[in-house]
Amino acid sequence: MQRQTHISTATAIHCGRGEDNPATCCAVKISFSKSVILIALVAACSDPDAGRSDAATGGTLIISVGGDPETLLPPIASTTTGQIVGDLVYDRLAEIGDSLNTVGDYGFQPRLAEAWAWAPDSLSIAFRMNPAARWHDGVPVRAGDVVFTYKLYSDSINGSPYAVSLAGIDSVTAPDSLTATIWFHQRSPMQFYDAVNTMSILPQHILGAVRGPELRASSLSRTPVGSGRFRFVKWNTGQSIELAADTSNYRHRPNLDRVIITIAPDINTALTRLAGGEADMLEQIPAASFATVAKDTSLRISLTNGLDYNFVQFNLNDPKARSRAHRLFGEKEVRRALTMALDRRSIVRNAYDSLADVAVGPTVRAYPTTDPSLRQIPFSRDAAKKTLDSLGWKDLNGDGVREKNGTTLEFTLSVPAPSAARRSMAVLIQEQLGTVGAKVKIDVLDIPAFVDRQNRRAFDAVMGGWHVEPSPGGIRQTWGSGGAESDNGSNYGSYRNPIFDSYVDSALSSGTLSDRRAHFSRAYQTIVDDAPAIWLAEPKRVMAIHKRIRTVGLRPDAWWANIAEWSIPAGERIARDRIATGR
Amino acid sequence: MAAFLLRRLVHGVIVVALVATIVFLLIHAAPGAPFAEAMDNPNMTEAVRQKWLHAYGLDRPIGEQFIRYLLSVFRGDFGFSYSNPRPVVDVLAAAIPNTLLLMTLGLIGGFALGISVAVVQVRNRGKLIDKVLGGVSLAFFAVPDFWLALLILVSLSGWVHLFPTGGTVTVGEYDYLGPLGRLADRAKHLFLPALTLSLLYFPIIARHQRASLIDVLPSDYITTARAKGVDERTVIRHHAMRNALLPVVTILGVAFPALLTGAVFIERVFSWPGMGFVILSSINGRDYPLLTASVILGAAFVVLGSLLADTLYRWLDPRLR
Repeated sequence: MQRQTHISTATAIHCGRGEDNPATCCAVKISFSKSVILIALVAACSDPDAGRSDAATGGTLIISVGGDPETLLPPIASTTTGQIVGDLVYDRLAEIGDSLNTVGDYGFQPRLAEAWAWAPDSLSIAFRMNPAARWHDGVPVRAGDVVFTYKLYSDSINGSPYAVSLAGIDSVTAPDSLTATIWFHQRSPMQFYDAVNTMSILPQHILGAVRGPELRASSLSRTPVGSGRFRFVKWNTGQSIELAADTSNYRHRPNLDRVIITIAPDINTALTRLAGGEADMLEQIPAASFATVAKDTSLRISLTNGLDYNFVQFNLNDPKARSRAHRLFGEKEVRRALTMALDRRSIVRNAYDSLADVAVGPTVRAYPTTDPSLRQIPFSRDAAKKTLDSLGWKDLNGDGVREKNGTTLEFTLSVPAPSAARRSMAVLIQEQLGTVGAKVKIDVLDIPAFVDRQNRRAFDAVMGGWHVEPSPGGIRQTWGSGGAESDNGSNYGSYRNPIFDSYVDSALSSGTLSDRRAHFSRAYQTIVDDAPAIWLAEPKRVMAIHKRIRTVGLRPDAWWANIAEWSIPAGERIARDRIATGR
Repeated sequence: MAAFLLRRLVHGVIVVALVATIVFLLIHAAPGAPFAEAMDNPNMTEAVRQKWLHAYGLDRPIGEQFIRYLLSVFRGDFGFSYSNPRPVVDVLAAAIPNTLLLMTLGLIGGFALGISVAVVQVRNRGKLIDKVLGGVSLAFFAVPDFWLALLILVSLSGWVHLFPTGGTVTVGEYDYLGPLGRLADRAKHLFLPALTLSLLYFPIIARHQRASLIDVLPSDYITTARAKGVDERTVIRHHAMRNALLPVVTILGVAFPALLTGAVFIERVFSWPGMGFVILSSINGRDYPLLTASVILGAAFVVLGSLLADTLYRWLDPRLR
């Protein structure tokens, strides 16, 4: 059954515009005011504050992270810590659901917008602001803030990396103080996601006319004032960031009294902190420490599919003259032979134990559009040797490395130093490729040097990795032809295949999951067969959380999204849980 | 003396200026640019990348950047940190007190322990205790600092939970403590990193002090003191020690800059937000203004340390005056 509901002419309410939801069929003509009433009724029925006792709220959650954020202002924040704080302190118009559906509006939960209505031609969406929403300084949140936020994100002078996701928006207007209308250039299945998920709504009355580089120096960069369910309290650089429950929040107060993010750059310190009870959770347990942590009976391990995958990316162009093909990797069959020579399963197992799956392509299993049974280039060293022989790569001088026309089958593999898993996989790749006569020189670089090398395309091969968004649309930037140019994208290996691009375009413009999955499968199969990279691991997200913490809904893209619903039972609270309120 | 101090100060200013220039050029020559994490984002287009670089003047020629930096430093403006959304001066002002406190205690502990151990060794020269203490000193001398820090952290904090793992205070609780509770909390957090530093400094001091004391003890004035019936403790404490302190003063001069520059690995392991922490993160983040300012301060302290050592020499040894 294929339906194009994203071009529905009916006025749908947010009960589900996504094709994947049967509720989409209810895309009926309901007036805006009726939809508001309906949602208000639903909200009232499910108000968790109703009957909430003091015993249900309270407690302090301490999260150990590896470093300070560079800023707490969402449009320019890029570190995970910055995103955690941003998501807890600020609200979006609506929040993506746990299903991570990005087509239409199915699954999206109201936040600052209590309801929304699509225009009959789907070229605009009118968001009805929740009149009870307040900034943490008491000023009401109004539609003007949405207009201001859009301008701030999209104005190129502010240099927000998220502006690209807003390219489909023509403008944002505020017909009245409680209605913000987003106008689109054209319809697309993900227009709602792109518009809503990208922007954390910011307070116009505080940021005012601050623009450009002054944004980083603005007060909100270190002391955010949002409308989310947690208020910012303080940031002691190098030590901690403290948030407190916004007890008068329009969406009701969170269960926890406080969330404290504590900084421990050294993983051993973080693990000791967790074991000693100084921290309640650590968001990423290294494979080497997993067994030790798992033995701790006070901790619970949470193992979920992540949104990360890593790979060896070949540079298909000559790093010194980009108009020329790379002396080795310009040839598809060489890339396929090197892929064949690697036992990816054993490499991933060695680096991650059982905490990662072998990647199936430039995607993750958490996407419903990913078919994990894609046909892979099979592991066979004999086949790899035969292929290389047939291509003329032979070890003529007996030094164990193949040559062809005076060129040796030798390349440098750049590896980011902070990633222990990628470092260890690089060594295994070096050893395994050596058995088929390919020599690998490993070059371990710190992050700025690694990123610089990628951006300048000045590498033979890199141990790359991507953390993807809930939408698979980012693949255009990372593997599409459009992203292959150094001045416009992150396809560092310069892989280009119009067939792949075409399948991706078809997938992203499909309105049904089955269509999207089918098109994406063809796209992934094309790129897997072309082997512009060796797909290595899809690490799981391994978190250790103290058992007294009751978690709710650990979303793969943002495990912190539902922290406001986490709780600590009254009988299991420790001293610091009672300290803020004296309970 | 005034001429000596003036001459040394002029030399010091030249040294600091040279160091600042070299560091500025070196850090800009290093591969990579600021905001690496933000740049490694599939949504980050080259146009936006260039906006960021332009906003901080990083797209200007290196010579122009250097002159602009020098002019701003002369105005007392060390720039804006890329990795901390604050002026560099504010970042340093937050980190320096933490480092000063930690390093001062670490150095005092190290010198006190080192000198004490040396005195015990000299008084028991050739005996078992001398050999045991010598072995212990050698063992601590050989241990890498990060390994010792981790060992102390895991044993005293991880296994027996006697001390907190790091930071300067207990997050989430400190603000609710009374004055005495806050003092105790800070002391608890300070203990392990200060102990680690003391244990790293003491063997250097002990070995130099022991050798120096052994050199001094056969001197005529020591023999005279003994012949006059002065007891051994007084001989060492009042007669031998002053002359034997010269090599230790040299070490103090060398260690003095660490008061400001901190101990990178110790601060990292114990999550101590001091200058070592700042310098490491500024290198990793290619935070040019913050790193250059940190190195300028470090160089200034090297000059001061050297001046301090030379001044102490002249006080301790009248022949140098």
